[in-house]
Amino acid sequence: MASQQPMTSSMQPTDVYGGDEVSAIVLDPGYSSIRAGFAGEDLPKSFVNSFYGVQGEKVVFGDDFIHNPLANLEIRNPMSKEGLVEDWDTSTRLWEYAITSRLTTFKQADPRTNGLNDDTKDILVEAVDENEKALEEHPLLLTETAWNSAKNREKSIEIAMESWGCPAFWLARNSVLAAFGSGKATALIVDVGASTASVMCVHDGLILKKSIQRSPLAGNWVSSQLRSLFSTVEPKVDLSPHYTIASKTQVDAGAPSQAVYRKFDTEPSESFRALEEERVLTEFKESVVQVWGGPGKLNATNQSGTTNADYIRSQPGRVFEFPDGANRMWGVERFSASEGLFDASAALPSLNSADPPIQKSQTIPDMLRTSINAVDVDLRPTLLQNIVVAGGSSLLNGFNDRLHNEVSAMFPGARVKIHAPGLTAERRFGSWIGGSILGSLGTFHQMWISKKEYDEFGASIVEKRCK
Amino acid sequence: MSSHDVRDMLDLPGTAGPRPAKKQKIAAPRSTLKGLAREVQSLGGDNPIAIVPEISVFKKRRLANRKPAAKWEYRPFRNSVRSDGLILRHWRRKPEVPPAPAGEVGRENEADSQVEEPIDDTIFAKFNVQVQVPEYNDEQYNAYLQNEHWTKDETDYLMGLAQEYDLRWPVIWDRYEYVSPIPDVEEGDDAIIPAPKVRSLEDLKARYYKVAAAMMIVHKPQDRMISSEFALYETMLAFNPAQETARKKFAENAFQRTREEAKEEESLLLELKRILARSEKLNEERRELYARLEAPPSSGNIGIYSSSQGLQSLLQQLMTVDKSKKRRSLIGPDGASPASAGPNSLQQGFDRRDSSMRESISGPSGSAVKKGAGQGPTERRQLTEDEERTYGVSHPTDRITSGPFFRYEKLSKPISLKSTAQQAKITNTLNELGLPPRLIMPTVETGTSYEVLLESIVKMLQFRAVSEKLSGEIAVAKAHKAEREKRERAARGEPEPEPEAEKTNEEEAGGERDAAADADPEAQEDMDGEGDVKIEEEQEKSAALSTRGGSAHKRSASVLSTVSDKSTKRQKK
Ligand SMILES: Nc1ncnc2c1ncn2[C@@H]1O[C@H](COP(=O)(O)OP(=O)(O)OP(=O)(O)O)[C@@H](O)[C@H]1O
Ligand SMILES: [Mg+2]
Repeated sequence: MASQQPMTSSMQPTDVYGGDEVSAIVLDPGYSSIRAGFAGEDLPKSFVNSFYGVQGEKVVFGDDFIHNPLANLEIRNPMSKEGLVEDWDTSTRLWEYAITSRLTTFKQADPRTNGLNDDTKDILVEAVDENEKALEEHPLLLTETAWNSAKNREKSIEIAMESWGCPAFWLARNSVLAAFGSGKATALIVDVGASTASVMCVHDGLILKKSIQRSPLAGNWVSSQLRSLFSTVEPKVDLSPHYTIASKTQVDAGAPSQAVYRKFDTEPSESFRALEEERVLTEFKESVVQVWGGPGKLNATNQSGTTNADYIRSQPGRVFEFPDGANRMWGVERFSASEGLFDASAALPSLNSADPPIQKSQTIPDMLRTSINAVDVDLRPTLLQNIVVAGGSSLLNGFNDRLHNEVSAMFPGARVKIHAPGLTAERRFGSWIGGSILGSLGTFHQMWISKKEYDEFGASIVEKRCK
Repeated sequence: MSSHDVRDMLDLPGTAGPRPAKKQKIAAPRSTLKGLAREVQSLGGDNPIAIVPEISVFKKRRLANRKPAAKWEYRPFRNSVRSDGLILRHWRRKPEVPPAPAGEVGRENEADSQVEEPIDDTIFAKFNVQVQVPEYNDEQYNAYLQNEHWTKDETDYLMGLAQEYDLRWPVIWDRYEYVSPIPDVEEGDDAIIPAPKVRSLEDLKARYYKVAAAMMIVHKPQDRMISSEFALYETMLAFNPAQETARKKFAENAFQRTREEAKEEESLLLELKRILARSEKLNEERRELYARLEAPPSSGNIGIYSSSQGLQSLLQQLMTVDKSKKRRSLIGPDGASPASAGPNSLQQGFDRRDSSMRESISGPSGSAVKKGAGQGPTERRQLTEDEERTYGVSHPTDRITSGPFFRYEKLSKPISLKSTAQQAKITNTLNELGLPPRLIMPTVETGTSYEVLLESIVKMLQFRAVSEKLSGEIAVAKAHKAEREKRERAARGEPEPEPEAEKTNEEEAGGERDAAADADPEAQEDMDGEGDVKIEEEQEKSAALSTRGGSAHKRSASVLSTVSDKSTKRQKK
């Protein structure tokens, strides 16, 4: 961070960018993963899967443990489909795991052990009660969604203060932080994560509540679209995850797979299979799925009289090999799975007939329109020039081009500018990075809710302070 | 390798004369170079290549590398703007402690830190600034701030939000959720809970500014405010929510434009700009033209041109001016017709127009002064048909021998060529017609009509002169006749008879006709065809003569028509 200028070790970082690090920890939990790290660093040191395993009495966290095809391993997620914490007990433990597995056990440049400071007398005293509470030394900056409930907010300060003994706490909206991460205080945030996609306007670091829009058309929905797609293409795609395959042989494109499947005494649970399938789908999303960049919708007719889909058919496709060795070329189909994000009528019918069909108002362009129309007209031009894209699913190829085309067509008189970090990591960790910046600012010291304040006013203080 | 070797390779004479001296001059800088750099330098020989040695040091050697590493400590600090005395810790360099004498060092140091333990304040405390919202008490509220649309409770709520969100109005409006306190249960139906009013951003601002302005004046009378305070006060008073709402509505409409509307507006704006630019240019040109018309006539001495030699040189001078003019018009694309730019090259056309505008402002008007002295070539502009019509430009096929002249000059020529008496007569006739002697607006059309008119007038005057002459002769002849008859009668001894008016008239008319026929043999043929019309007119004329002036217009009109009739007739033939 701000390391362009050479900085000698004797210089205070304050002189460069107004930072004053107090070893705060930034924790950004999402539906798919939990990001944690020290404020002031470039990227989160700790990245933990939100899914966890339950094996009888035992609960396991982290990618090292949850991908074992064990007989009685159930996979769960403490977050609801809306990206809110549902299971507080497990969330607390999961977060604790995220922090302690990577952060606080790494004594960051501990002066007491690295021998740089030789007067060690007073430190020995402190070291005694070090293990009592996880975060006694570290203020905690926790992120939340814009639609978090008041109860949830109070619960989170309780955990920080009482379970972890944080000296100070702050609860920040992840969309605001995403804006900060892009260096903006006023922005229109388009955050497409795993469980939810949201669009909202942020003015001077504060969310404009009337502009909050969200829908389930995000990463998980694209995965379900892929499942629909796989069941309709000829030949059907068998989505067997890696753990089911004992060995495979190379086959020609379009030929049936010749894999040898693994035999299990007891099949791993459904939830485990779903988690592993999701990994394959994510791989597919990363490498094959593409968003039609526009102009116009995928099924719209272009100048030459044909549809954009026809044009794509004339272009080369992409090959993807599934774990079982079956592979084929994906042409226009790779566009159809994501088209529903922008065009409700192009969404593939869901495999689960109970799912309601998606509405036009749930698509990203429509959410953006509703959102921006809910704010003062004087702000709109600025917001359109500061559209910040965040969240892992916005990494879908062509997403930004399409968004730009759609918004430009929607507001032809305005200048539209989309800000999306080019680096994959920065996009996925956008809100964590924003938190890292915020938590390391010298001017942020006055914002923290201190333990004393919490003791005095109770958990409701979070509603008053973190607006 | 030295310059000597280079010379050797190039087969140049080994030692040139002044070489040693030069060598000594550059000896000093050269000696500072070492190794390869010196070799390269010496390649240049007598004319050394300018080589600036670049000193690149990648890593400065640490100066204090013998000292122990700088000590840092995890130092607690507080923030003075926090009321809770939160103590956070950050890494800071440990201040250098001068080495104390050995022995009780450790303990002393510890004692020091325990005694002082100065927890420094963060340097960021100063950035905690809060907005000041107006404050008022109940009394003041009742005295100054009453408003039918606002309760005190809601005003308090607004002020609270303004403070909370540091006057960020979009946020205040976004978070504004005032619920009026539930009235006492005793007062009756709890069903009547006033619906929360929907406040627009302008409503909120208007209320806030009103309150703030009112309280400002309460705390400090207007005449004691400093200028910045007064300016603030003024702006707050001037806030007009209605106007602001209208503006927002307009902005909203502009924001919701479709692509076509946006395009159209853009092109309209462009068009407007162009029109403005063009009218400005036209004004400029007109002004310039006036300036030129009013310029005093050249008082230069023409004596030198009176000789043939002088004329020759003048001709040459003019030719060169002409040539340079032509070349200029070939070079300068700016002079090319601006109106011919197609609609697809609007932007480009506009730019060009812009630049030609600039030129018309600076160029010709600047050279107008010079032109008075007879120099400075102007660029000729190509006119479109429309423009040609408005400016009255024509392209005569035959050369004008006398060179260019003004149209009014051409018009006044036929008059000025006449004798003074004739001139006076023509002017008189024109006066009778109610026309000025010199045309006010000598456009092409009026000019040609005027010419026709003048011709007619001249002809009419000629006719009149002839007719007067004839009637004079007739009168003389009559007098002769009367004299003779008198004498005869006297000789016969008859008395005087009564004069026969009718007969005389007829005779007169007949005589006149004859006279006219005599005078103008061409006109006679007309008269054969239109004899009756003619007679009628003649009668009218005589009638008019008696009433003079009164029906001058009528008469002259008829005269004109006759004349034009005649002339058309003549043309036909
Ligand atoms: N390169 C990529 N291309 C497409 N999709 C991707 C890519 N990388 C990650 N994803 C998808 O992004 C989602 C994860 O995004 P992100 O980490 O922003 O979500 P989250 O913050 O955990 O979830 P939420 O915001 O819903 O709580 C997953 O659905 C994943 O499949
Ligand atoms: Mg997220």
